[in-house]
Amino acid sequence: MKNMKYFAGIDIGSLFSKVVIIDEKGNIKAYSVLQSGAVYKGAAETAMNNTLAKAELSMGDISYIISTGYGRARVPFADSQVTEISCHGRGANFVFPEVRTIIDIGGQDSKVIEVNKEGRAVKFAMNDKCAAGTGRFLEVMAVSLEVDLSEMSTLAEKSRTDVEISSMCTVFAESEVISLFAQGTEKADIALGVYRSIARRVTGLFGQVGKKERVAMTGGVAKSKGMVEALGKSIKTTLMVPEEPQIMGALGAALIAREKAQA
Amino acid sequence: MNEKAKIRLIIEVKKSLKEIMDDFSDVPEEMGYFYERFRAFFEETPNNGKKVIATMCIHVPVELIYAVGAIPLRVCSGARSMAEIGEEFFPAKACPLIKSTFGALYLNIFPMAAAPAMIINPTTCDHKKKIGEMAEDIDSCFYTLELPPTKETEEARFYWHMVVKKLAKELERVTGQRLTRKKLKAAIGIVSLAQAQLRRLYNIRKGNPVIWGNNAILVANAYFFDDIANWTDRLSRLNDELEDRARRNQYVVGQEAPRILLAGSPSIFPNMTLPVMIEQMGGIVVAEEFCSSSRSLYDMVAVDEWSLYDMIPAIADRYLKPGICPCFTPNIDRKRRLLNIAGDFCIDGVIYNSFAGCQLYQMESRHVEKILEQNGIPMLYLETDYTSDNTGQLTTRLQAFMELLQDQKS
Amino acid sequence: MKKIRAFINNSNISKFRFYFQIAAFVLFVYGGYFYVTISEKLPTFACPFNKGSGGTCYLMPLQHQLHMTWSRFIGPGGIHLLKGFLVFACFGLVFSKAWCGYLCPLGTIQDWITKLRKVLHIRFSKYGETTFKGLKKIKYILLFLLIIIPLGVSNSLLWLPKFSHDIFPPFCKICPGRIVLPLFTGDTSQIYIDFSTKTAMTMTALGMIVTGIFFTGSFFKKRFFCLFCPMSALLYIFSKVAILRLNKNVAKCTRCGNCYRVCDVGIKEIADDVINKNIVKDDCMLCLKCVEACPEEGCLEVSFFNIPVFMSTETGFFKRYCLRNEIK
Repeated sequence: MKNMKYFAGIDIGSLFSKVVIIDEKGNIKAYSVLQSGAVYKGAAETAMNNTLAKAELSMGDISYIISTGYGRARVPFADSQVTEISCHGRGANFVFPEVRTIIDIGGQDSKVIEVNKEGRAVKFAMNDKCAAGTGRFLEVMAVSLEVDLSEMSTLAEKSRTDVEISSMCTVFAESEVISLFAQGTEKADIALGVYRSIARRVTGLFGQVGKKERVAMTGGVAKSKGMVEALGKSIKTTLMVPEEPQIMGALGAALIAREKAQA
Repeated sequence: MNEKAKIRLIIEVKKSLKEIMDDFSDVPEEMGYFYERFRAFFEETPNNGKKVIATMCIHVPVELIYAVGAIPLRVCSGARSMAEIGEEFFPAKACPLIKSTFGALYLNIFPMAAAPAMIINPTTCDHKKKIGEMAEDIDSCFYTLELPPTKETEEARFYWHMVVKKLAKELERVTGQRLTRKKLKAAIGIVSLAQAQLRRLYNIRKGNPVIWGNNAILVANAYFFDDIANWTDRLSRLNDELEDRARRNQYVVGQEAPRILLAGSPSIFPNMTLPVMIEQMGGIVVAEEFCSSSRSLYDMVAVDEWSLYDMIPAIADRYLKPGICPCFTPNIDRKRRLLNIAGDFCIDGVIYNSFAGCQLYQMESRHVEKILEQNGIPMLYLETDYTSDNTGQLTTRLQAFMELLQDQKS
Repeated sequence: MKKIRAFINNSNISKFRFYFQIAAFVLFVYGGYFYVTISEKLPTFACPFNKGSGGTCYLMPLQHQLHMTWSRFIGPGGIHLLKGFLVFACFGLVFSKAWCGYLCPLGTIQDWITKLRKVLHIRFSKYGETTFKGLKKIKYILLFLLIIIPLGVSNSLLWLPKFSHDIFPPFCKICPGRIVLPLFTGDTSQIYIDFSTKTAMTMTALGMIVTGIFFTGSFFKKRFFCLFCPMSALLYIFSKVAILRLNKNVAKCTRCGNCYRVCDVGIKEIADDVINKNIVKDDCMLCLKCVEACPEEGCLEVSFFNIPVFMSTETGFFKRYCLRNEIK
């Protein structure tokens, strides 16, 4: 036990901070997901300490820490930084070795990453500087539907008729949803429409990358079943979703940390 | 408005220069001259009573300008402050380079405080085609140089020969000097000396990196406004120093740094964000394929008979035939050139930048990416403008691309 | 070795060619006086009408050997013809079209005429691409006639009556070489029009007209006669398999068109073709001006037995085209 080395990956996203601690063999020792506040530095430390406590370890036991995500530059205790693109690719490929394409829909951006069999990114596409097709879009739509995100997913399953949200822009889509709502369209149908709208957007990105099978989905948005289904239909494949899709970035970071420490 | 904008521009220039000077160490001593040139960007320079002829593109035959005893000055602008001035004249999604250039023309702000006697504007992209018309509002001596939309056919070639002959006549009129055989031959001579030095710099950059890409781009940018003889002389000294560094294995980065080819829309000082960011993230720009650098001086004039009758078409050919601006159709030569550069410079990855609003580059990017991919060269497509509101995303993309290239290298 | 190669690549081949052409001219026009007879199957205009000729142009024996009845083809006559062609083929296979650019006396005279024009500062003339393409075909027609007429003199073709013997040898009758080259040894006897028969008159008059065209044409247009030369067409057969080759490394070509610009015979493909490696075209005379004018390292390359002997280099280009002017 004493000789065991531990590695941590810390993923500071725009909405959540994720930390994963793994051991030398790659087993997940502990992980946590916390809401990121406005101050990244604080968020990183809280999340880290939280996870250390879960793993019953102290900072000194961690050999190497890699930060990733939008706030990766603001983790003072990290040994180095890697972009979330490399990390999500690595993490998802570790969980599903057969995966070659990863779709990550995060809070602020969405990306499609093609990886080789070692889980290294070979190509990627990322959405433009706009919230369309991201978790943020979904959140805004949930608010205007007056449901929370998990409710929205179950709601979408009950949809019977197709409703199209044509606007890509978050602001316009929001007013579109509100007006649909006002017209008396079923909430369930609108929810599915929202998922489809994101799926369309992401499918465009997917087309820019290699379209290689199999495809996994990571990021917080992958927790909505409705979203996964809509996207799977749109790109015509069954998406593989890890048990805890949100921590794939942090897991990838931890794996890269292990590799870097051993190199 | 003029004074305020000028102050903002000066701040912008200083900031951009400072970033380059502060962030990159182990710079060749001879770079000092070029830094100084940019520091004194707006200071008036004596031009011995010679007339200044502004050019807006690389498709203007500068040899003709030198031959009538005038000085060419390229006015394509990379300044954000000028783009903001130009903003009110253009549709929101127009190209920032055009907005910026127009802004500078509107306020009469030119490098080296020059007042051009004529502004030559080739009809390359749609933006340039329309800017000539809009210029009527700004009381400038615009001259539209009719560049044909294709370069493959003999018809286009002869049309262009006529256009260039007409330009020669107009230049004679504006400067009041006659174009003679001797003067034109001498002009081809001076320009070719500059070309020889630039080609030498490229050959040096084919090896292990002894100069930062952003520095090399600055050098090429200085050619826009610097006295050509001075520039050539200074570049020759810089080349000597770089060759010496190469002999002593004094490299600016290690072998592990991904070698980048920067292609697409031009990086024009002070808009140096992209090359600077790439190199801050551990890459090294070893080659560029855009019109503010390699394309402007690379291709040579070859004359068979040294008479005006043959020299003018020879010069005209040099500004049409090897052109690889996406405004030409078809433009397979650009892809061939990119592949050739990728091979010669041992490129690990291509970063393809397109200005938001430059549809020509945007549309060509897909085809370029496909061809590069077939040849096993990864490409990152970026869309930028002169603002800095997407730096965060840009950073992630660039860094991820560097990680990808480093992974492939190791 | 490296130094020698660099020296050659950076050298001024045009200058070398100028002197080489003079030497070849002396050999082919005056060699006969020194009992030099190189061969009778030369792929170049060493005209036997000139007493001093140091060899014989193959077109002359070719016409003579074709001048026989069908029956003789399967027999000694055919073997003779074949043997002659094989000797000619050997010359063609080794030096390909360099015979035109470096050895042909008529070509050399045209180059001198061009030099004269340059000294006089007179412009060259231009013609459109379509005219050019049309004119180029004439040489194949001439080659066809050169073969068919001797056959028609000895045989009845398509049940037509045999041609008059006065037409023979048809190409020599109209070739400017017959009239021009003897002039260099002071022999003006070929300047005549034979009024004996209608055919003889037509043919000799045509010869005089073609000579006139030869001089005026090549004054305004470089290597004008070469566009119509049947020898050029005949030599082209071997250029694809010849030992001496002009190759293009197509990937390196920027299509700047410099090679096309300086080309005396206006071959556009040299600049535009980015698919074929072997770039010798029917009008090419392997003068190698294109290689000199190419600024891309190793893009154009001359090889002999697949060994590169001369290639385009950046340094060579600057030496030949730019820095030289600056010094003056």
